[in-house]
Amino acid sequence: MFSWSLAARNLKRRRLRTALTVSGIVVGISMMFILLSLVSGMEAQARSMVRFLGGADITVSNSTLFRDRMGGGGFFGLPSPSTLDESIIEVISKLPGVYAISPQFSFSGSINGRRITVYGVTPSSYEIVTGGLNIVEGSFLSDNSNGEIVLGKALVNLLNITRGDTVNLSTGQGGKERIFKVIGIFETGMIFQEYAGYITLADAQNITGEHGLVTQILVKCEDPSIVSNVANIIQSTVPGVRVTTPTTAIQQATQMLNTLTMFFATIGLVALFAGSFGVINTMIMSVTERTREIGILKAIGAKSRDIMKMFLAESLLIGLIGGGVGVAVGGILAYIFPILTPGLFTISSSPFGMRNPSVGGRVMLNIRLATPAITPTNIILCFSLGALVGVLAGLYPAWRASRMKPVEALRHV
Amino acid sequence: MSKTIVRTINLSKVYRRGKVDVPALNDVNLQVLAGEIVGIMGPSGSGKTTLLNLIGGLDKPTRGKIFVDGVDITVLGEKELADYRLRKVGFVFQFYNLIPTLTALENVEVPLALLGVPKAERRERALNLLKTVGLEARADHKPDELSGGEQQRVAIARALVNNPSIVLADEPTGDLDSKSALSLMNLVKDLNKRNGQTFIIVTHDPIVAERCTKIYTIRDGRIENA
Repeated sequence: MFSWSLAARNLKRRRLRTALTVSGIVVGISMMFILLSLVSGMEAQARSMVRFLGGADITVSNSTLFRDRMGGGGFFGLPSPSTLDESIIEVISKLPGVYAISPQFSFSGSINGRRITVYGVTPSSYEIVTGGLNIVEGSFLSDNSNGEIVLGKALVNLLNITRGDTVNLSTGQGGKERIFKVIGIFETGMIFQEYAGYITLADAQNITGEHGLVTQILVKCEDPSIVSNVANIIQSTVPGVRVTTPTTAIQQATQMLNTLTMFFATIGLVALFAGSFGVINTMIMSVTERTREIGILKAIGAKSRDIMKMFLAESLLIGLIGGGVGVAVGGILAYIFPILTPGLFTISSSPFGMRNPSVGGRVMLNIRLATPAITPTNIILCFSLGALVGVLAGLYPAWRASRMKPVEALRHV
Repeated sequence: MSKTIVRTINLSKVYRRGKVDVPALNDVNLQVLAGEIVGIMGPSGSGKTTLLNLIGGLDKPTRGKIFVDGVDITVLGEKELADYRLRKVGFVFQFYNLIPTLTALENVEVPLALLGVPKAERRERALNLLKTVGLEARADHKPDELSGGEQQRVAIARALVNNPSIVLADEPTGDLDSKSALSLMNLVKDLNKRNGQTFIIVTHDPIVAERCTKIYTIRDGRIENA
């Protein structure tokens, strides 16, 4: 029918009123879109953080966490993680619900003079427990690797290293040194995570001299739902250990995220709700103004359904424009907002739960949790939300229009 | 002999104004033959428009029956009445009553669109009718760019586009100068002769009355010369 072109022309005829009505929807939709983009962004960051934290269900470490490593010395004499005896591996692997475990020895080292975090891992079990690293070039270590290292992309870019090069890894000033061959490069998407290198557990223990010791034991459970149970069992069975799960590690971030989500969702919905009253108001005015037109259309044979469609098309159009503009405005604001309020949208984190300048410096540790992610799902969702508000707000005015008696409507001047 | 196209039996309409009943039509018995141009005259408030609205299915009588082409339209539901108006009746109003946002051509297309006629076909049929009423050159103009006479011609084209059995006109020349009124009535006569369409015209205008084949006068809700 003429529904669409009539709707478009009537909206055009009252440009200012249409623009104002649409802005009501735009405010609500852009709010919702900012929110959804930020949450999607945070989710992506949280996912890669879980991966960074080992990707394991549970991380077991010494309860004292840090110890003073005398070997470091000088200004850079930084604490390193406390160690656990390898015998604990055996104990934990026999506990119920444990699917696989992988021991790890991490320490603060330097490559060609640049401070990095070094992880000594058992390649096969590491891949089972954590799902492995995202290797973008070359390959990961194998269980019988010796003198081979896998480095982060940011690090190789910084030091101008390419795959196949050899690097000089030392355990710190005055510490032991050894030549390693770069066999692979990994990427995490978060720069501070990429100032790191992976070698085999045996190489790590040899270079540090800490034979038979590990700093963390990564655990994968038989089922994700039993993670907290297994964590409790480990905590109560093995003395002197600290048990962390990625869930608890990112809980703080999630909590802040949830508060923020609720805050925005409420504002967005309230704004959208208020905007919908604008649409109802405009549509009722439009129906009243065009009473005579409704009478004419009914006189020449339009059914109530035709009239209803005509006005619903108009309010749907308002909703669609509002949704479209709202998504565009929200998309722009989602990028501008975090830049304007850096404090609100960043959290600090380091591999060991505190600021550790040795891992690329303080700035690197400010994770921008609020990098927005503009996903097709969010665009479709917000656009549909605008359309939905348009239709819902148009229902009553359209129904009122459709119920008019032709004779009375024609008498209207 | 021509067949009866409209027949009213004891048609009565009473309006309620607050607590008072105001009779508008009183036992009207009217018979219109196919192909006639019937003029309905009478002082204002006599019930002319009420009669027209009842025949056109825009309003429901308080009492009595209306047969159009043998069908009693007083028993039809709202949806069926809309369909009746769409297919059987064409309306022409005093103040043209075109849709202001649509062009002349689109205004003529509306009844076809309501019938679900595909776009290309309705374009063609509407354009043909605009040609008949002499307005093909003004097809893309909006109502406010047309003179009163032109708007009324568009309204007649719109009333005729679905090939209705009857065309109902309420003071069609009431807002036109005598020259436009004359040319409009010549058009009506012409269309009537060509297609045999029945016209029922409520009017005060002698120019119209002169060109009707039959005149009825209504006074106080009753037909005086039936």
